[in-house]
Amino acid sequence: MAIGSVGVVTARARPSLRSRMSELLDRESWLGPIFVSPALVLLLLLVAYPFFMALYFSVSNAFIGRPSSFIGIRNFVRLWESDAFRQTFQNAFVFCGAAVGAKVVLGIALALLLNQQLWFKRMIRGAVLLPWVIPTALSTLGWSWMFNSLYSVVNWTGLALGIMDPPGPNWLGQKYYAMTAVVVVNIWRGLPFFAITLLAGLVAIPKELYEAAEADGAGPIARFWYVTLPLLKGVLGIVVLFSTIFTFSEFNIVYVLTHGGPMNSTHLFATLARQVGLETGRIGEGAAISLYLFPALMIVVWAQLRFVRKQAY
Amino acid sequence: MSSLTRRHFLTTTTGAGLAGVLATGIPPVRGQQREISYLCWNNFAPASDKKLAEIGQRFTKDTGIKIKIDHINAEQQPAKYASEVQTQAGHDLVEMRMHFPWLYEPQLIDVSDIVADLEKKYGKAISSAQETARVKGTWRAVPQYHAMFVATYREDLFKKASLKIPETWEDLYVAGKELKKMGHPVGIPINQNLDSISTAGPILWSLGGIEVDKDGKTVRINSPQTAELIEWYRKMFRDCMEPEVLSWDNASNNQSIQQGKAGWIHNPVSAYIVAKQMKLPTADTINHHRTPGGPNGRHETDAPRHIGIWKFSKNAEPAKEFIRYLLGRPETYNEYIMSGDAFNLPAYDKLQDHPVLKTDAKYAALKSEGVQYHAYGWPAPPSDKVQLITNSFILPIMLAKAVTGTSTKDAMAWAEGEMKKIIAG
Repeated sequence: MAIGSVGVVTARARPSLRSRMSELLDRESWLGPIFVSPALVLLLLLVAYPFFMALYFSVSNAFIGRPSSFIGIRNFVRLWESDAFRQTFQNAFVFCGAAVGAKVVLGIALALLLNQQLWFKRMIRGAVLLPWVIPTALSTLGWSWMFNSLYSVVNWTGLALGIMDPPGPNWLGQKYYAMTAVVVVNIWRGLPFFAITLLAGLVAIPKELYEAAEADGAGPIARFWYVTLPLLKGVLGIVVLFSTIFTFSEFNIVYVLTHGGPMNSTHLFATLARQVGLETGRIGEGAAISLYLFPALMIVVWAQLRFVRKQAY
Repeated sequence: MSSLTRRHFLTTTTGAGLAGVLATGIPPVRGQQREISYLCWNNFAPASDKKLAEIGQRFTKDTGIKIKIDHINAEQQPAKYASEVQTQAGHDLVEMRMHFPWLYEPQLIDVSDIVADLEKKYGKAISSAQETARVKGTWRAVPQYHAMFVATYREDLFKKASLKIPETWEDLYVAGKELKKMGHPVGIPINQNLDSISTAGPILWSLGGIEVDKDGKTVRINSPQTAELIEWYRKMFRDCMEPEVLSWDNASNNQSIQQGKAGWIHNPVSAYIVAKQMKLPTADTINHHRTPGGPNGRHETDAPRHIGIWKFSKNAEPAKEFIRYLLGRPETYNEYIMSGDAFNLPAYDKLQDHPVLKTDAKYAALKSEGVQYHAYGWPAPPSDKVQLITNSFILPIMLAKAVTGTSTKDAMAWAEGEMKKIIAG
């Protein structure tokens, strides 16, 4: 009898493996980390590891295939002595300022246009995305032909319309024209991102607000200024943040169109970093060029996220 | 005593064998696959890549060693090589363009034995190959072939205007003025590309000037010879060329003469080969002549290419066997060179009058008697600092500044300052 009682008690105390597993998986404290861990591993391997490697390279005298040692911030100091780097630094701000500024204005305009009742609305919205979808290197090759001194269709059109004097601007051979060319291609490429994201923001604005404003006698400009723009600020902040980062780190457009020339007038951090880090093997200096703006960009990111959060709450 | 069962025997021997393989890291001989891999560029003469694949198959048939040949664009080579070196994994054999053996010196095995054998057969390696593949007295790569620069001109225009074939760079100025008047300017790029240096370097050398001295430390760009170079470029830009040369890339001068615009360019023979292959009307009118010279002789930059073997390769011996098969057998090397249609020329002295130069009368100038070939930055050894000077395009930027308004003195001072910072760094 006693033996039988003990057997019953033991059976109650040990639930099956399956039920124990399902009980474990019901606990959020276990389940959360299990679901997050694959993404975390990917982040660590593909983002954190390369980032910390780059950080280490930037404070070392790393040269491809040779032993390296820690040299502190010497790379960053030495870079500033180079005329090519100072020129690149200036180019980056001119390029980013002009391109992001133009994309904000044109992006809002395009988003407002796409928000109207248009024929073939879906097709037009899809077509607008094309520059963003086509591989940049490929589309920039098209632009390089358009700006090519021998075949330039831009100059050909300008001359045919009588708005240019022969032989037309030397788009990629004069520094101001070359900077204009790379900015134009960056705007063309980045505009869809602005337009489509802002369009999503526009669609989310309740129609009642416009009706109320109209009833109060607000015209189109007043409606845009007092209704649309304040409610778009959050989305706009995020878009500008992303675009600033992407534009500062632009590579393809400059590499294909000008290789940084003429006279280094279009070099950006990424193209100069490739020239120094990969083509010459000085990966320490190359990493320092890439990370030069990292602290400044961190502050920009922090300020903009703070601004966005304020808008949200 | 228990008898040995079949199962017991198999378990014991398999376990012991596996333990041996794991402990030594070497698979048994029968399991070892003799396979090597070779990474090289997409040759500008595509037939040469086809021939290489064909030779690779024959190599496998004759030796039993499998070879896998991969091609990438020249632009991708630095990034790909850097990743192979950093990860210590990748191909066994790698094509080394120009100064690459200096960059990757600690990662390349010594191949002096192969070069010694080849030099016995074919004579000394050409000067530019020696400057770039022999690093501090040790051959780090085996010279394979070279593509040289040559003067490419519109023969019909020269005949029409009774122009003299330029023997010196000054002669080119005289001819260039007439060509520009005829609507066919001279096309020498002055921009951030290697073609710009490939022309500016030889002109500077022909005037007796250099960028950095042979010690690799003393910057010599600020000199009367450089001032002469700048003045020559300034008058060429004004009287013989068009501003478009400031925007040109490596392909622009080819396109300009192929499309019938430029009357004279300085380029490898590819401009003519492509025109011929594409059956362009200009193919009949293009011809070549020796690169012009100056008071200090006739100099030229060319692009030697070599084959190196990574130190991390576990197949160094089979890899060496392939190099010997491709370059060490005269009939195979000859066949390989012939496939390049004079774009890839032999890298050894005794082979300079190669039969490939007789396949087309317009290749005669490629014999280039009396022309000295050098790597960028000569006479300085192509150390990483000298290469950074090249890759930073200081020479063409100096010239671009000068032809667009900067004074000769300021342009030279700028170049000297930039070069000194690099050398000091």
